[in-house]
Amino acid sequence: MTPPTRHYEQEIQDFLDGRLAEPERTRLAEHLAGCAQCRAELEALKWLKLEVLGQLPRDAVPPALTARVRAGLDAEAAGAGAQRDGLRRASFRPFRWAAAAVLAAAAFLVLLFVWRPASPDLPERVARDFAEFTAGRLPLRIEAREPRAIEEFFAQNGVPFATRVFDLAMMRYELLGGRVHRLGGHQSAFFVYRGADGRLLICQMYQGSLTELPPADEIREHNGITFQVHRRGGTTVVFWQEGDLVCVLVSDGPSESVIDLAFAKAVKV
Amino acid sequence: MTPRKLDIESKRAEFEATAVPFLQPLYSAARRLADGPDDAADLVQETFLRAYRTFENFTPGTNCKAWLFTILYSVFINEYHRKERRGSTVSLDELERRFQRYLQAPDEAEPAGATESAGSVGPEVDAALRQLPADFRAPVLLVDVEGLSYDEAAAVLGCPIGTVRSRLFRARRILFAALQQYAVKSGFTRGKQ
Repeated sequence: MTPPTRHYEQEIQDFLDGRLAEPERTRLAEHLAGCAQCRAELEALKWLKLEVLGQLPRDAVPPALTARVRAGLDAEAAGAGAQRDGLRRASFRPFRWAAAAVLAAAAFLVLLFVWRPASPDLPERVARDFAEFTAGRLPLRIEAREPRAIEEFFAQNGVPFATRVFDLAMMRYELLGGRVHRLGGHQSAFFVYRGADGRLLICQMYQGSLTELPPADEIREHNGITFQVHRRGGTTVVFWQEGDLVCVLVSDGPSESVIDLAFAKAVKV
Repeated sequence: MTPRKLDIESKRAEFEATAVPFLQPLYSAARRLADGPDDAADLVQETFLRAYRTFENFTPGTNCKAWLFTILYSVFINEYHRKERRGSTVSLDELERRFQRYLQAPDEAEPAGATESAGSVGPEVDAALRQLPADFRAPVLLVDVEGLSYDEAAAVLGCPIGTVRSRLFRARRILFAALQQYAVKSGFTRGKQ
């Protein structure tokens, strides 16, 4: 038999995916009859698609996640309801306010007890992010030296609050860039510096409260601002509150240097 | 198309009936995309919240699962996607070459241990999927696991249909090569299919 002039790889893929029409189907069938390599390919990919990938079991959804999702949706709906009632003052009726209050209180209680059944150890996560970035596994989405450029990047990429990217040039820290990140369920603005000694310093800002944090290793006060100092592995993690934002600095440099940087850049709101 | 107008009560009820039933496929895909169960849960939570906020933009009668996957993939790429960590030292090119060698001499495939009965998919498959870069893993999950069409997968991934096709082409070859021993172990033999 004359060996085939070419193999029908693309046609086999289209056939498997139900995208091959006549007369190509007939042409493929004729080709398969005389080409062992294409038959092997069809058999292998058919097994993979139908018997392996098509049969992959689905992960069971943890009950806590189902509750979290529904609680989040209820909170969204309650928030929208409160907004709507605020707009319709003309149709104000006391029982509606009471109903909204009850709904909001219920949503709050659900959130309190269900949303985060296991409160994440945020200092641990900040330290883990530092390790991931240091290992090159957490890419920057913008590389820039100017704080303004990174603030604009955050604004354009959905960070829902005004960010304040510190200028640490006076302290001999060069800005490297940033990314929109997640920190224990919070959207965070994540930006990175490199010091004159080559050490990295990472800052994250997110909407939240210091009350979410586990007990600190140390509490410091400076200019009327409270700083929570946590130590995880070889890193120092310093949190403080600015209005509804939480700011956190982390580095594996000397602990007092990280705390001093936080003292220098924190603003009382 | 202009967004629909929904009052709060009907929006919540309609979302519950239309979108929430897809929690399991979304969570399964999130587990296979994200790093670990915590990230997967956060990814799913964020997906549903964003979907709810923009539910007026969803067109009833269209594929709600594909719409949710579009949001999930966007959140994943923008907020959860980290640089690839591939534990294996075997390169993708080498796996493609291995597939070619298999095609040319399929009967010489390396034998494995005892044959297992078919019917359940082993953990080797998830491990092999995780070795694929996300660009290749995502079309496989969408088309082969979730049954989306090329058009729907292209919309989810924000790329042309031709890109979906070419990534699937490479991804399946790489996966088969990575699963060659598993194939023998699970009873796959040439000519039996």
